[in-house]
Amino acid sequence: MTSLQSTLGEEGIAEELADNQRAISIAEFFEKNKHMLGFDSGARGLVTAVKEAVDNALDAAEEASILPDIYVEIQETDDYYRLIVEDNGPGLTKESLPKVFGKLLYGSRFHAREQSRGQQGIGISAAVLYAQLTSGKPAKITSRTQGANEAEYFELIIDTDENEPEISVEETTTWDRPHGTRIELEMEANMRARNQLHNYMKHTAVVNPHARLELVEPDAHFKFERATDQLPEETEEIRPHPHGVELGTVIKMLNATDSHSVSGFLQEEFTRVGKKTAESIIDEFRDRHYGRAMRWKPPGAHEPGDIQATVEAATVNKGAEATTAFATEIADAVSSRDRIAHHELAGIVENVGEAVGDEYGTTFGSTVRENAIEAAWETICGHEEVTDQGTDDGDGQQALDEIGEEPDVSRLVTDLYGISDAATSTRKDDEVVHAFSVRLAGTFEDLEDTRHRLTHRELRKAIDRAANLTEEYDDVAFGDTARENVTEAVWNVMATVPDDPPLVRELTGDRDASSDLVEGMRATNIMAPPTRCLSPITDELVEAGLRKEFDADFYAAATRDAGVSGGDPFIVEAGIAYGGDLAAEGRVDVLRFANRVPLVYQRGACATTDVVKGIGWRNYGLDQPGGSGLPNGPAVIMVHVASTNVPFTSESKDAVANVPEIEDEIELAIREAARELKRYLNKRRSMQKRRQKQNVLGKILPEMAEKVAEVTGREQPDIDDAVARIMNNVLVERHREDDDSSVKLVVENHSGTAESLEITDIVSAEPANLSDGASAIEMDGEWFISWDVDVPGGEEATLEYDVPDDATFDLDVKGVDEEKLTITA
Amino acid sequence: MSTDTDATARAQLIDLAAQFYDQFELGEIPHMELPTRSKTNIELDEEANVWVYGDRTSTRSANSVRGARKLLKAVYTIEFLADQLEQDRSSTLRELYYLSESWDNKEAQFNDQDESNQLIEDLEIVSEVTREDFHMRPEESGATIMGPLFLREQTRRGDREIHCQEDVGEGGYQIPNNPDTIEFLSSDAEFILCVETGGMRDRLVENGFDDDYGALVVHLKGQPARATRRITKRLHDELELPVTVFTDADPWSYRIFGSVAYGSIKSAHLSEYLATPQAQFIGIQPSDIVEYDLPTDPLTDSDINALENELTDPRFQTDYWEEQIELQLDIGKKAEQQALAARGLDFVTDTYLPERLEEMGIF
Repeated sequence: MTSLQSTLGEEGIAEELADNQRAISIAEFFEKNKHMLGFDSGARGLVTAVKEAVDNALDAAEEASILPDIYVEIQETDDYYRLIVEDNGPGLTKESLPKVFGKLLYGSRFHAREQSRGQQGIGISAAVLYAQLTSGKPAKITSRTQGANEAEYFELIIDTDENEPEISVEETTTWDRPHGTRIELEMEANMRARNQLHNYMKHTAVVNPHARLELVEPDAHFKFERATDQLPEETEEIRPHPHGVELGTVIKMLNATDSHSVSGFLQEEFTRVGKKTAESIIDEFRDRHYGRAMRWKPPGAHEPGDIQATVEAATVNKGAEATTAFATEIADAVSSRDRIAHHELAGIVENVGEAVGDEYGTTFGSTVRENAIEAAWETICGHEEVTDQGTDDGDGQQALDEIGEEPDVSRLVTDLYGISDAATSTRKDDEVVHAFSVRLAGTFEDLEDTRHRLTHRELRKAIDRAANLTEEYDDVAFGDTARENVTEAVWNVMATVPDDPPLVRELTGDRDASSDLVEGMRATNIMAPPTRCLSPITDELVEAGLRKEFDADFYAAATRDAGVSGGDPFIVEAGIAYGGDLAAEGRVDVLRFANRVPLVYQRGACATTDVVKGIGWRNYGLDQPGGSGLPNGPAVIMVHVASTNVPFTSESKDAVANVPEIEDEIELAIREAARELKRYLNKRRSMQKRRQKQNVLGKILPEMAEKVAEVTGREQPDIDDAVARIMNNVLVERHREDDDSSVKLVVENHSGTAESLEITDIVSAEPANLSDGASAIEMDGEWFISWDVDVPGGEEATLEYDVPDDATFDLDVKGVDEEKLTITA
Repeated sequence: MSTDTDATARAQLIDLAAQFYDQFELGEIPHMELPTRSKTNIELDEEANVWVYGDRTSTRSANSVRGARKLLKAVYTIEFLADQLEQDRSSTLRELYYLSESWDNKEAQFNDQDESNQLIEDLEIVSEVTREDFHMRPEESGATIMGPLFLREQTRRGDREIHCQEDVGEGGYQIPNNPDTIEFLSSDAEFILCVETGGMRDRLVENGFDDDYGALVVHLKGQPARATRRITKRLHDELELPVTVFTDADPWSYRIFGSVAYGSIKSAHLSEYLATPQAQFIGIQPSDIVEYDLPTDPLTDSDINALENELTDPRFQTDYWEEQIELQLDIGKKAEQQALAARGLDFVTDTYLPERLEEMGIF
């Protein structure tokens, strides 16, 4: 997070503003931050105010499952602009109303993990504040709750010192809407950003096909009608996902939770965390907070080091038999293990102590047990031998030499040698690995904590130290890969300790421990968050929205499956409109949306634009000069990112940040829609060619036939069959002999594929003896005879009926592209 | 120019149009089939020892816009030729090209003369009538004969008897478009010498080579016209004169020899009528370049390409040609006939040609 975002992000702006910044007035804060909030100029301020008010209105109506009907009016008064936004939402209660409009950062969605238009609670109140600061006039709000007899009218100003709304006027009034809210703001503004305003409204209509919008300007009036009566699916709020929270948030959550244990806290406050996942997170936390305990190989039968003897020697006053049994069983239990950590040894000693104590009617108290553990651990680690040899000779130099020459001198060295040798490349000299192991063993022996606990970071440090010394003294390379491999090998041998994690209240005061917990959460594999908190528009409605607002020849849309980025689920949708009335000159339009809100400014900074530019559009049939950048042509490309937390580049929410997971999905969504575009364009091109060919041949062949007839002195030949064959066409021909009542319709399919035709012959006299199950329907003295015919490629079908010979006909054929059809009837 | 041949030719053409008519009526796509005119589809006619088209055919069909245009033009041309035969008129290939401009249908007009020339060749093949019988003439090729030959030519102004040394100027006897109108009366010639370039032909005449050696000097003027090839063949067949060909030493000139001796790929359907398989190549051979140390030019890329092409041309697949072409590729040089002048103006008539003719067993 940048510092900018951490000032305003959810991490703590509320607290900071509330607790620390009382001295700074909200007006001052606004003045300083208005560029980030989208109010940096009069032109833009008006657009932003409309945007915030409309977003709010849409949210209000949808939350109450009402199809939104929103009216926006901009009036030019003498000195200011007046903005009026009305919705048909549920209305606001007297209590909440001033807070919604008048208090910065008030909002139900501030912490909610749910897709919604507004998130920060800044928007509409910032507009109110902007209006107040520029015009000095209060916000005029009318609201009527469902079923209320009368509407309530308020005039509201914000006390900029206290960030508290103040209601100056409060009265009841009449209003023609049965329920809803109306806000009227006067502000310093201008209409220079009219284009953006129109785009915003039009694009809002595209992604909200269920909403009816109206915009009235001093000299223009726009209406955007509904394309569907289907409300967006209701979203459900979800708890945060462990992968998506920051340390500050976690500290806040720890302060607020009712849980005592960390496990309970994790399960209560986060989504997708059950008992098992909580345990995994706590294990990760333990590894980070307490470190892992080294597990050493216990001495084998052939090795020196007799656990039984040392334990027996360390145990006093317990009677010979009991002592022996105690020592023997400990020794047996230890040697039955492949490796053993200090806490595992402690567990064995405790169990054996209890069992043997019961058997022999004595008690192995904590002192005795501790002595036994110490004695056994020292034997396992081989402390004594090393020290003994060193001190016996009284000569450090010789001790060192012996370490160098005699590999068995320390059990730890042998153990570490085994691990390191397996983890490093076979080309490493035995001597080198051995020297390294000696130095690494030294670290363990020197540890203050004789239980040999190290965090991953500490372990790596120890290994770096040993490796550096080895490089220095033995003049060999001990590279990063080798260090890494050894670190992982040792780490994998080490055991997570069983220590109880701190309680929640202990964690709250311990920033480091909390940080370890957050890291642990990140490191744990956790199921992706549920997506019921998201409400995509759906590809169908994306297409309907485009169809509604753009008069094009072709539409395609794609909705991707949900993805996850930083613990927040997201869904990307894309749509493309092509051809028709869209401007053929210049770049295509890219419409960007986040949570159903059009993004109007900062197009160049948006991940969406970057992705569109990065796609090779030539491949999809669009012109793209230079093979990259925005393509040219009569097309609109729209992208909608829906997420519980859309990552914007700034608080004015104009551009989606470049998050790789989201960019990937944007690309896939666009490509999905673009593939359909390509199919359409290919087909169109081949139809165009076919049309051209048909046009030319349609001219040449009759002329050729005419000439041939002339040269041979015969009558004009019939060329329809030949033409149909050349065009791989479907030919429908009427055969009728003079003075004959029978009519034949011959369908010849000259293409390579089967064709299904709907043939309707409209006849002026009543037909009889209809073939192929056709039926005749009379309407106003005309008979409609309809057949459904399937004709395989290269074959023909004949349809017959009888009709008086003075009848006239009108043949209609459907089911075959016009370009592929030749009718001679 | 009998009316019989004219009537047959006309009937053949109308038959062709009737074929298209029937195809239309049968619901077929109008088309005509032609032998594929490429070097991969010519084969040696063992009997006549000339190269003719093989079995592979290609179809001109109205299936595509291009094909339909071609057939439309063919029908218009058929009409034109039929009318011409009926009125006993004749025209040149170039006239046909310009004439098409006057046709009422723009689609039927020719884009260039290659197109109209090719179409006439197509019609020749399909109708089995030579273009001479369609009354189609090429432009005057200006090819000439100089030598001891006495002949009678039927002209529009009556029969003329001409001696090709005594009755002609320095330019020689002009070969008419249809040499079948010529009757050979007598000849003192020993052999025929076909010469590629005008410069060399003039040198030979100036040096009196035709007189001294009894040579009928036929000027080919580059790639020889049909009439030139036809008269050469008739001279060979009727007067039993050996035919020799004298050209530059470059790949294009070998093709000139090829078309005299074996027939050209374009008119392989007429090989039997035009080619003289017994013709022999005098030179300049690549080996002469080496032997006489002639002044040369380096081979260009397109020369090399053409030579390599000839190596795969069935007409040149003989030991002699393979050896010569490979030698030329090896030395990378070509030489003109005039290069012989480096040894003096008389070298060609006094030394080179007599030596070569002796080697070839002409005398």
